[in-house]
Amino acid sequence: MADVSPVVPPVIELLDVTRRFGEITVLDSVTLRFPSGLTTAIIGPSGAGKSVLLKVLVGLLKPDAGTVRLFGHDVTEAPERELFAARRRIGMLFQDGALFDSLTVGENVAFPLDQHRRDLAGAERDRRVAEKLEWVGLPGFEDRPIASLSGGQRKRVGLARAIVLEPEVVLFDEPNSGLDPFTSDQIDDLVLDMKRRLGITFVIISHDIVGTVKVADLVGMLYEGRLVEYGPTADFVRSGNPIVKSFLRRNLAPPVSAFDPGEGR
Amino acid sequence: MRFLESAGRFAYFLVDFGRAMARRPPSLGAILEEAFRIGVRSLPVLLVIAVFVGTNLALQGANAFAQLGGQNLVGTFVAMAGVREMAPVIAAAMIAAKAGTEMASQIAVMRIREQIDALEVMAVNPLWYLVAPRLLGIVLVLPALTILAIFVTLLASWAVVVLQLGQSGAVFLAEARATVTGADLAFSMVKGLAFGVIIALVSCFFGFQAGRGPEGVGRATNAAVVTVSVAVVCLNYLLSVVFYG
Amino acid sequence: MMGTLALLGQIGLFAARIVQGVLTGRMPLSALAFHLHTVVIRCLAPVLAVVFPFGMVMALQGLQIFRMYGAERLLSPFVAAAIIRELSPVMASTLVAAQGGSSFAAELGAMRIKEEIDATDVMAVDSVAYHAAPRAIALVIACPLLNVLGCVSGILGGYVSAVWIQGEPAGTFWAALWDMTTPGDLWASVLKTTVFGAIIGLLSCFFGYHARGGAAGVGKAVNDTVVWSILVFIAANYLLTSAFFGGGTS
Repeated sequence: MADVSPVVPPVIELLDVTRRFGEITVLDSVTLRFPSGLTTAIIGPSGAGKSVLLKVLVGLLKPDAGTVRLFGHDVTEAPERELFAARRRIGMLFQDGALFDSLTVGENVAFPLDQHRRDLAGAERDRRVAEKLEWVGLPGFEDRPIASLSGGQRKRVGLARAIVLEPEVVLFDEPNSGLDPFTSDQIDDLVLDMKRRLGITFVIISHDIVGTVKVADLVGMLYEGRLVEYGPTADFVRSGNPIVKSFLRRNLAPPVSAFDPGEGR
Repeated sequence: MRFLESAGRFAYFLVDFGRAMARRPPSLGAILEEAFRIGVRSLPVLLVIAVFVGTNLALQGANAFAQLGGQNLVGTFVAMAGVREMAPVIAAAMIAAKAGTEMASQIAVMRIREQIDALEVMAVNPLWYLVAPRLLGIVLVLPALTILAIFVTLLASWAVVVLQLGQSGAVFLAEARATVTGADLAFSMVKGLAFGVIIALVSCFFGFQAGRGPEGVGRATNAAVVTVSVAVVCLNYLLSVVFYG
Repeated sequence: MMGTLALLGQIGLFAARIVQGVLTGRMPLSALAFHLHTVVIRCLAPVLAVVFPFGMVMALQGLQIFRMYGAERLLSPFVAAAIIRELSPVMASTLVAAQGGSSFAAELGAMRIKEEIDATDVMAVDSVAYHAAPRAIALVIACPLLNVLGCVSGILGGYVSAVWIQGEPAGTFWAALWDMTTPGDLWASVLKTTVFGAIIGLLSCFFGYHARGGAAGVGKAVNDTVVWSILVFIAANYLLTSAFFGGGTS
């Protein structure tokens, strides 16, 4: 695989990262640089190691070998304090939102503010929460309980929470999983809208090629723990790599189904 | 072998938790909220059981001592058995059965739904955010519930002695007061405190250890309950030996 | 008032559906065996762990009083009677409600939320007979069983504190053990806990089966189960004790 070194400086770098679970190698010397201000999508079939990649990237899992750099700092073996300092500049949208059921929608979105920006006065905090909820298309949802939300709405609230601290990077774990094609499209449009509005770095893990082509500037494909293809989206869809071709064919063949009962970690 | 592994993990858990607490003290609001929730939720059941234990100690005691002509000893017996031993144990058992299982299952569910990962990504230490308020909440509330259980037990016994057995309430109270000292009450509170620490730490630990899937939640809860029960009984015995010889 | 009556009516109907499920053989016996095994394993340690110290305490404190009269011989019958008649049945049932009943309510509640109960009905299978009945009946069987084990544990607790700690002769402890307890007391203890088990089984399955409103609804079902089943069986205990022992003083 050719080493693609974009001219834009990377905010996140994985260098030769390997991660095993017992006998199984889930990530096999993966090297990836996520350039600042661009949207990079990592696609691949279930079990290719996408979710593990994302978890290694934010330090939820430690790599067995290799280096992870966030904003130029090596955080592979960094103490919690340094890791946390880097994470405050990152927002993440979890697969099912990972919202706290005991809190309301507003309290969920305000959670990072309440934890890290206690300097903000109540009115300013509320204003920011309301603004982010409006951005994700859920204005006035502050007092709703989490249990009353649909799958798409949970993702929207999760996104509002991910951007409330005004991060420099937002990570998306399967933004389309578990959604019907129609809702899936709406989420893609929302991601696109956020990309224009914020102009920050996005990293998207997905198995859904349609949404990926729509929003990504760069696409990489993981297959059996290896990065088999990586490049600008326009080049990627014309790739001659047989694995990529077969993945694209299956995914682009109508009718497009974005439903996936969820992939294991 | 598996026991040693768990014990080792528990030790790590304690160290991590201690570090997290040292870095940042938990918020008072969260502690009070937990204390209130734990207290209010366990209250009705605890009151009912305390009434049961009080009435029963009086009835069984009166029944047995009547053969000796020692009806007046009911007060002494209730004070010794109820105040010193049973009230702390029932308060701890009720809190363990309700609040402890709830902690273990809540945290296990949060683990499965990636909410604990979400805390980490949002740069919030999960041990600090989830364990500290629960631990301090229970530590705040269990001594108070223990004292409450003591008084309800005594009151229920008094009611049986006066209303059902038709004996002198004044004698009962005098007996009880002669037996129970301030030190006994203080010691019962210390016991409550110690039980609270065990219940919170062990239950939260098993919650964090939960495996994936719904059966992981069940298994974590179950392991927490069994470990807590055994630990509380052993600790109760040790503390009583230390205090009463 | 109307609401309460309606609720009682619903619980009654639910009980009838469980009984019907059992009598028509629509309750799967393998599920009954599975749930019985689960609930006994789940409640065993808590029951033993709570009744054992109760026996210890009764013996330890009772002994101090009996010694004043030189009537140490009365100790073991006193412990046995208190444990068998009242303490073990109620404490064992409390823990069965808090551990077993609550987990059944949580399971059924989760199945309701995940539409598994609807799915069962859609497949033309009686969901009460299939899901609720084996759990309820498991509690009816488990409760007296755990009570018997609780009684043994409580008496052993008394033995440990009287003989090992206080140095009373073991021979006297065992010889006098049944002086105050009749076979009738034993039957009453078993019968009582069977009734308590039925109360816990019925209420836990009722609240779990009718849970609504997501995870919070399941939590409420669990809480209602523990609070109401303990309140109801303590009330039943008072009535049954009065019936067996005439006001509880025997």
